[in-house]
This record gives sequence, C-alpha cells and structure tokens, in this order.
Amino acid sequence: MVMARGFGSSVPLQSGIVPRGSRAVVFDSIFEVFLLLGTLVGVVVLGYMLYNAYKYRFGSGNGDFDEADRLTVGELPTGGGGGRKLFTSFFMSMVIVVSLISWTYLTLLYVEEGPSAEDSLHVEVEGYQFGWRFTYPNGHTTDGVLRVPADKPVRLTLTSADVFHNFGIPALRVKSDAIPGQETETWFTANETGTYTAQCYELCGAGHSFMSAEVIVMPPDEYEAWYESTNGTQSSENTSAIHSADTNALQPTAPANAGRLTEVVV
Amino acid sequence: MVSTKLYTAIYAVLFVSATIQVLVEFAGLNYWLAFGVIMVLSAAKAVLVAAYFQHLRFEPRSLTYLVSIGLIAALALTLAASYSLL
Amino acid sequence: MTDTNPERTDGGTVTDDHGHDFPGTGSIKRWFVTTNHKDVGILYIVTSLFFLVLGGVLAWLMRIQLLVPRGPGETILGPLAYNQAVSAHGLLMVFWFLSPFAFGFANYIVPLQMGAKDLAFPRLNALSYWLYLFSGILFGVSFFQGGTFSGGWTMYAPLSVPTFTPDVGASTAVLALVLFVASVTVSSVNFLTTMHRMRAEGLTLRSLPLFSWTILLTVWMMLFAFAALLAALLVLSSDRLLGTTYFAMESPAGALLWTHLFWFFGHPEVYIVFFPALGVMAEVFQTFTGRRIVGRKWFIIAMVLVAIQSFAVWMHHMFLTSINLQVKTLFMITTIGISLPFDLMVFALIYTMLKGKIRFTTPFLFVFGALLLFIIGGITGVFLGAVVLDYEFRGTYWVVAHFHYVMVGGVTALVGGLYYWFPKMTGRMYDEFLGKVHFAIYFVGFNLLYFPLFVAWETPRRVFDYAPELAPWHQLATVGGFVLGLSFLVMFYNLFKSAFVGDPAPDNPWEYAHTAEWAVPSPPPLENFDGTPTYRNGHLEVIEAGEIAPRRDRSDTPAGSSVSADGGIAASSKTAVSTELPTVESTAVEGPSHASIWPFVLSLGAFLVLLGLSPLQEAAFPSGMAGAAYATTAVGGGVVTLGSLVAMGLEPFHGPVFEEGEAWPFSGIDNGKVGMWIFLASDVVLFGGFIGAYVFTRFAFGWTGWEPIPSDPIPGLVNTYILLTSSFTVVLALVAAEKQHKGALVTSLGATFVLGIGFLVNKGLEWQHLFHEGIWLSTNVRSSTFFLTTGLHAAHVIAGLIIALYLTARAWRGAYLEDSRSVEYFGLYWHFVDIVWLFLFPLFYIL
Repeated sequence: MVMARGFGSSVPLQSGIVPRGSRAVVFDSIFEVFLLLGTLVGVVVLGYMLYNAYKYRFGSGNGDFDEADRLTVGELPTGGGGGRKLFTSFFMSMVIVVSLISWTYLTLLYVEEGPSAEDSLHVEVEGYQFGWRFTYPNGHTTDGVLRVPADKPVRLTLTSADVFHNFGIPALRVKSDAIPGQETETWFTANETGTYTAQCYELCGAGHSFMSAEVIVMPPDEYEAWYESTNGTQSSENTSAIHSADTNALQPTAPANAGRLTEVVV
Repeated sequence: MVSTKLYTAIYAVLFVSATIQVLVEFAGLNYWLAFGVIMVLSAAKAVLVAAYFQHLRFEPRSLTYLVSIGLIAALALTLAASYSLL
Repeated sequence: MTDTNPERTDGGTVTDDHGHDFPGTGSIKRWFVTTNHKDVGILYIVTSLFFLVLGGVLAWLMRIQLLVPRGPGETILGPLAYNQAVSAHGLLMVFWFLSPFAFGFANYIVPLQMGAKDLAFPRLNALSYWLYLFSGILFGVSFFQGGTFSGGWTMYAPLSVPTFTPDVGASTAVLALVLFVASVTVSSVNFLTTMHRMRAEGLTLRSLPLFSWTILLTVWMMLFAFAALLAALLVLSSDRLLGTTYFAMESPAGALLWTHLFWFFGHPEVYIVFFPALGVMAEVFQTFTGRRIVGRKWFIIAMVLVAIQSFAVWMHHMFLTSINLQVKTLFMITTIGISLPFDLMVFALIYTMLKGKIRFTTPFLFVFGALLLFIIGGITGVFLGAVVLDYEFRGTYWVVAHFHYVMVGGVTALVGGLYYWFPKMTGRMYDEFLGKVHFAIYFVGFNLLYFPLFVAWETPRRVFDYAPELAPWHQLATVGGFVLGLSFLVMFYNLFKSAFVGDPAPDNPWEYAHTAEWAVPSPPPLENFDGTPTYRNGHLEVIEAGEIAPRRDRSDTPAGSSVSADGGIAASSKTAVSTELPTVESTAVEGPSHASIWPFVLSLGAFLVLLGLSPLQEAAFPSGMAGAAYATTAVGGGVVTLGSLVAMGLEPFHGPVFEEGEAWPFSGIDNGKVGMWIFLASDVVLFGGFIGAYVFTRFAFGWTGWEPIPSDPIPGLVNTYILLTSSFTVVLALVAAEKQHKGALVTSLGATFVLGIGFLVNKGLEWQHLFHEGIWLSTNVRSSTFFLTTGLHAAHVIAGLIIALYLTARAWRGAYLEDSRSVEYFGLYWHFVDIVWLFLFPLFYIL
C-alpha cells in the first residue's frame, strides 16, 4: 500500500506504464522488463566481479595492498574500508528492486480485481486425481474439456475433490491452486480462438504428469450455440473425439486417460 | 529468593483462579466476554508460574526474552495464518 | 561478563572424576564412542557426503527420465517411482546432505574459532550425530517398505495422508524426518549454549568470526523453525499412524494448515542451509584476497535482519492459495525486504576483492564461483518476488532452476570450505591441480545442468511429460547433471588419497588466514588449545591453564607455551611438529573428551521404536507375523532407549571445563540452565504449532460452532488442580534440596510423581469414557485436535514422570543435597508443562 502511494502522483501516466489487458499481455510485458533489467544487472555485476578478480589477482601488482595491514592469524576480526561504495551500491540495488516490485504491485491490484462479474463467464473448476471437471452456470458439467468464448473474460472458481492440485493454462498465463475444502478464484481472457492445454502444477500423485485438460476457445457465436445446446444437462463430453494431436503438444496421449490412469497406477 | 510462604500464597491464587475460570463458563456470560476473561486468567496464571515457580523474575532478563521470542513466533504463525483465511 | 562457576555437567549428573580410555583415531571403537567435536564434525561430513551421493543418484534417475517427454507406458521409472525419486531427492539433499554437511564444519571449526575446548554438552553432540545417522538409515529403510514417500519434499496435504499414499514406507519417511528433527533440536540447544556461553575472553559477539556468526544465526533459526516443522510432522505422523484427521480432505482447511506449518519452517530453512555457505564465502574471501571484509558490521546486521525476517515471509509460497490480498501485500513487502540485505552482503564480498591480492586456489575458486551462481539465483529470485510473475512461475522449472542456483550455489561454497579446511582436519594438503580440475568440471556441469532449466521454465515441476520443443534443453541439463555428478569423483579421489599421502600441512597453510583455527596444529590436539585462549589484549593468546583446566602432557610443544598469534611466524615454527599428527590423539587423555557409547545406543533404540511404529494405521499394527515383528521391534527399541537414557544419566561424565570468558547475554546462568531454557523456547514453538493448528482449524470450521469434545469440564479442572499442586511440590523439592533436607526432598519429589500419575489416571478415565461414547481420534477434526494436543501434553507429563522417578530414586540415595541444579532444571521443565496445561484446559474444555 505504501509503495502504491509513491505512484499516486503520476496517475495519468499510470495507465500507460502499468500493463493491463489479458493475463498473457500483463505477464509478457512485465516478464520482458524483468528479463531485460535482470540480464543487464547480472552482466554488470558479474562483469565487475570478474574484472576485479582479474585485476587484483596475485602478482598483478595492482592496487595498494598494504603488507603492514595484512590479516594475521589470531587477530580479532574487524572490517575493512570501503563502506561508502558499499552503501551506494546497496542503495542503487534497493531502488531498482523496490521500484520494480512496486510497479508490478499496481498490476497485481489490477489482476486481483479482475473483470466485473457481470461481464464474465463464470465456470467452476474441480480438480480430482487425475483430471479436471468444469461446471457452467446452467449446471452443465464437462470432464477434461473447457469451452470458452474468445474475447470474453472468464472467471474461474477452483476447488479440489481430493488432494492439492494447481490448475494452469500456460498459454493464457492463468494459474490457481485447487485446494480441497477451499475455493480460489482467478480469471483470464483468451483473444485467439484455438485449443490450449491446461495442466496440473502441483504434485498430486501418480497421474500428475498426465493430469491435463483441453481449453477450447471458440468464436463467441459458436460458443453461444454450443452453450444453448447443453441445456443444463449433466452430460459429459466425449473428450477424445475432439482431441487433435497438433493442438495438444503438451499432451501426447489422450487426455481422457485420467480415469484409466487412476486404475492403472494406484 | 522467595519464602515458602509466598510460594504457598501463589499456589493458592492459581488454584482459585482455575476455579473462577470454570465458574465464568457456567455464569452464562456473553461468549466473547467469557472468552476474554478466561484467557486473561490463563495468561495471568502462566505469568505467575513463570515468574515465581520458574523464578524468571530473578534471572537475567535474557531468559525471559528467549522464551518470548518463541511465544511471539508461535503467535505470529497462528494469527497470520488465521487472518489469511478471511 | 565473567562466570566463576566452572561447568561440570552435561545435563546429567556430577559424580567422581575419573578418566576414560579414549581409543585412537585408527580404532573403529573410537568412532562409536567419541564425543569430541572434531571427531563428530568429521563423522557429519563423511555421512553427509554419502547422502549427497544417494540424492545425486536419484537426481540422475530423474534426469534420465527427462531426456525425452514420456507419455504413459513410455517411462523408465514408473510414475510412482518417479514421484518417489523426486521426493526422496529433495528430502535427502535438503535435510540429510546440506545442513549436516555445513554442520560438519560447524562442529569442527566453531569451537576452535571461539576458543572453546569442546561444545557445552559433548555427549549430546554425539547424540545429535547418531540421531542424524539413524534418521538417514530409517529413511533408507523406507524404500523397502512398499516404496518411500512420494508426495514431494514439501509433503503437501492431503496427498501425504494414507488415503492417497498408503505405503508403509511413506510413514517411515515421515518418522525418519521426526528423528532428524530430534537431532537438530539437540544440536541447536548445544550450539546455542556453547556459542553464547563459552567464547574466549575478549571475543564478544561483535568480534566473532563471520563463519561462526553464520552458524550462530543458523542455529537460532533452526531452534524455532524446526520446532514448527516438528509440530507439522507430529501431526502428520498422527494422521498417518493414529488416524487423526487434521490433513484429511474433509478437514475444513487441512491442506492450507499444512502449507502454513510447513512454510513457516520452510522459508527459514532456505537461510538455514544457505547461511553457513555465506560464512564460508566470507572467510575464504578474506583469506585469499588478504583483505578484511568490507562493511563487516553491516554484513552482520544484514544477516541478523534476514534471520529475524525469515519468519515473516512464509506465505509468499502460497500466493495462489486462498489467502487474501492484504496478506499477499504484506508478504510481498516482507519478501522484498528480506532480499535487500543480501544485496548488501553480495556487494560487501565483491568489494573485499578490491585492492586485494587474490590467489585463485581451489577454495577461492569454489567460493568465487558460488558467489557468481548466487547472484544469478538472487536475480532470478526477484522475478518470483513480483507476485504477478510468481502467479505464472508457480510450479514451473523457473522455481526449480532458481532454487538450485541458490541452494547448490551454497553447496559450491561449502565444497570450497571442504578444501579450505581439509588441511586443518587431516594435517595433509590436498592436490591443488586436481582441485582446480574438479572446479572446472563442476562449474561447467553446474551451469550446463541448471541454466537450461531457466530456458525450459515452462516445464511443470515434477512432471516427465513435457512439451517436445523443450526436450533439447532437458537433454543439455541431463548431460550437465552427469558432468556435475562425476566431477565429485575427482574430489573424492583427491581428498581420499591426500588424506593419507598428501604433503603435511602446517598450522596455517594459507597466508592471510586470520581466524583462530589456524593458530593451532593441523589437526588440532584433542583439547584444541594448549591452555586458555584469550583475546584480552586484542589478539589471540593462549595463557597457561589455570587451576580449573586439566593439565595435559604434550611432548610436541613446551608446556604452557603461548601459541602466539603472529600468523606466519607461529605457523612456520610449528610445521615440523604437526607432521607427527597421530601421536597426540592416540594417547589416552585425561580431560573433557570422554568416551560414551550411550549416544549411539540411545539413537539405535529410537530408530527401532520408530521403525516398529511405522506400519501403524488407525493406531493398530497389521495382523500376522509382520505386525508382531514390528510391535516387538518397537517395544525392544523402547527398552533400549530407556535403558540408555538411565545409563547416560548415571555415567560419570564431564563437560568441557569452562574458563572465564564471554557469555553475553547469558552470563551468570550456568550452561545446564541455559540449555534447558533454550530447549523450552523451542518447545514453546512446538506447542504453539499444535495450539496454532487447533485455532486455525477451529477458525476455518467456524469458531463458535465448535463444541468442546469433553462435555464436562470438571475432570479437566481436577487435572488442573493436580498439575498446579504438582508444580508446588516441585517448588518445595527445590527448597528442600537447597536447605539440604533429604527427607523433605524425597517426599516432595515422590509427591510430584504420585500427582503426575494421578493426572494421567484421571486423563485415562476421561478418555476411556469418551471412547465408550464412540468418540475416537478419527471421529472428526474436533476429536482429533482434542486427543492429539492433550496427548502431546500427556507425553510431556510421562517424560517428566520418568525424570521425576529417576530423581526420586537418586535423592533417596542422597543426591542433590550438595548440588540441587538437576532438581531445579527438572522444575523448569515441569512448570512449563504446567503452563501449557493452563492454556489447554480452557481451550479444549470450556471455550
């Protein structure tokens, strides 16, 4: 909160500086800045370190090493000089880190707030060993496939039927824990139609590696048509029928294997 | 350090205070009021035992701080974890 | 700042002084009975390297599995076997390798740096080691009981309960951790007492060498963090063995409860394993640059801040759970806050090189490399501090790569430490060329292994079926893994060979080393110094032993000679002497370093008890022969444990004779009492963890909707009366002992024992009554918390009663009238148990 206030004066600027948009846009723009700055800082610090290690190597004759003031066995440990430089560097690193994190905090607030409930599609997600179950507002339930319209914010409420899972759709940069007895919330907006993969990101048992689901982003009108057709029935979709190899790069085998795996490996 | 007489008096106070705790429970007070009274009595008893029976009062303060650190750590865990549920 | 009371106890009893035969280092018996800190240090180092190999082989198995993405049926390790490898690798490396490796150095070096003859409680130190070894063996056994634990090193609930991981081996692994924590707790108490109470005169905390500083802070963090872990593990053990339902999936917030308890330990643990590496870096940087560290005071302040703050960042591991935004914000701030002191430390190390005379010996190369790696680990860690990024990095290889850069970066420094102190420990120089070869292969292997993982960061953790386009990076990493692992062969060969045929090492083989371990021969004599070390004149001097210190005959130096601190001069004059290394050690010595077999036997007993208990489910042994065999093992182990405890109590044993020195902030309180209070402080956290778990669960359940399990508070009130009375009788016992009134002492102690039995009988009746009503541990989470928390308290009462019985018997035979301290320390414990009950009673009976 304190840090957010620091940006308070620059409110008009903020909308430009603070990344907004879909989760993917937000993540990618921040990650890019961090990667750039991180690499820069890394190169400078490591470069400085290596340079000096070389410069002051034994026998180089550099510096003004004072033989009279050398370390001797049994002396009471004390510090050497150079404190001012230390504090300058420390202060600089502090400024970089604190301002970076404060900047992302504003985005965090944006992400935490999410799209308004009226504008969003609300889907309940339940993880189980080893698959995902999705429940739509009309009560329709699917297993292993999440269908959402493009360009519309989707709010997910997650929980788990058994152990601790974590639901993530890497391409859409959305992730949340699915915890038994607890509900978590997250949201995402998919701008491109297509098929994505959702995966489990918390070790949950023998089928963890294969605990995935398909996320099919449909053109809004197609989605509406499909949604109408579900009619609130509790049917499960046959997931392997719509499964195609190229859209399922992270999941070389059928996603509907969840149930089978349970029997095979447990 | 302390006379047996004082130890006996403290023992009596502890005894009575434990009784009061149960009486408070049966007195039909508002739950949170009763909760407050009972916990305060427990804390007071704990302080008495630590200060006199464990003679922390007569030891260097560092021992008290040492135990307090443990207490603060446990309280921080409990309170922050519970608060995070809200 | 002085303490005129010489320390003579080892938490046990004081009896007549008679020396033990102490076998030489060549004798196998020596290593089973030794209590000397240097021997124990070597045992720790050797054992931890064994676990490094074990954990490394598991990592190789994982890396082989990860060569290509593997669908179902295409795996080399089955899915469960892979999960076991992942879990066991993490647990072995974090618990059984990293900390014990660092504590090998701590054991060996810290007393030397402090000017102590040994740790405050040498037998407890040996006990720590044996508990550690047996905990590791127990973990090894778990592989053969249907498979070890497979729920990851973080052991997230409810995967960790038998519903989902039913193998006996999984329970054994948890119990192995319990035993490990016992070792750590004993060790923490010992180190804290030693480091605060037994520093040489003039060696204030402020001027403690940095390696000792890092160990001091590490041990402080250990004391509290491992107590929280113990609470978590005991609850988990109870869920697995007794059928309580804290972490069951039906529990209102069981999964979250585990994450809180675990990470409250887990984050300090990061610094617990890293700090010693930092200390090695600081020492080696100073030695091989020839310069004192820049900003020493701030370096120390930064570490103290980190140590304190490490207990306030745990929820940053839980940003994606259901915790609220305020808490997220708070923990984001504390997380950034804790990263900043590290910046300062890193810069301090870098600036120390400036204007130095840097010698690129093997230790320096490793430590320099470690700093490079740590900087990369630190920068990538800042990414995780940005919550928005953390949301996506959670559960991916970014986290894996980051913490391996930090943790194995730390290992790199510790390996540097091994080379650095090898001449001191063995009296022989290692082969410098092979050392450099090791570093080159190691450093290449390290980066080849871990850097590609950053590139392939989108891989989910603990998954072997990943996006095929990431496969080349994983293949690079696998190659790197083998390079890194095999580089250790060079080290093992080098060190093993050099230990026998290396050039003899002088006292101080490193120019510009300054800490006290380099002022004594390599390896140091049994009692380290030739007299009493002191810094009263601003530098180390060894003055002739006073009347307290035992004299020891040493042929190799003139008696009472001052091991002068003038670095090079002293070093060169001793060179010839220290080549005849074994002579000093193999002679039977009279003094504090006594032999005791009981730490070993006691640990064996504890091992058998836990092994015997491992197949319990719902508090019942499996039927048939196997169950009977396990039950017999448990009972047998119990007898061995109790027997060796009594034997240890009766064994005549002296702690190190303690000269006047620095003892802030515990001056004027003797070691036994300080040790007891430090232990109690950790016990506060243990009970705090249990009570916290209860409060948290009840809060999640709905506080006022939760009915206390006992319908009637009166049995609880009666027990409160009984305990208060027993506390009073303990007070009377101490008064009687101080007045040398044997009859009153025996009566009071006896009364305490009888009252304690009364407490247990009353509790037993109450429980019996509840069982009859059909209320059992597994009935619901209310009954689980009730039985387990009051059960833990009852276990403390039982432990107290065993001690009370022992004290009563000894008092009957006239003990404690001259020296009432044992009675006093028992009282401290007993009153603590009383205080705990003062809170349990209202929380579980009336509110």
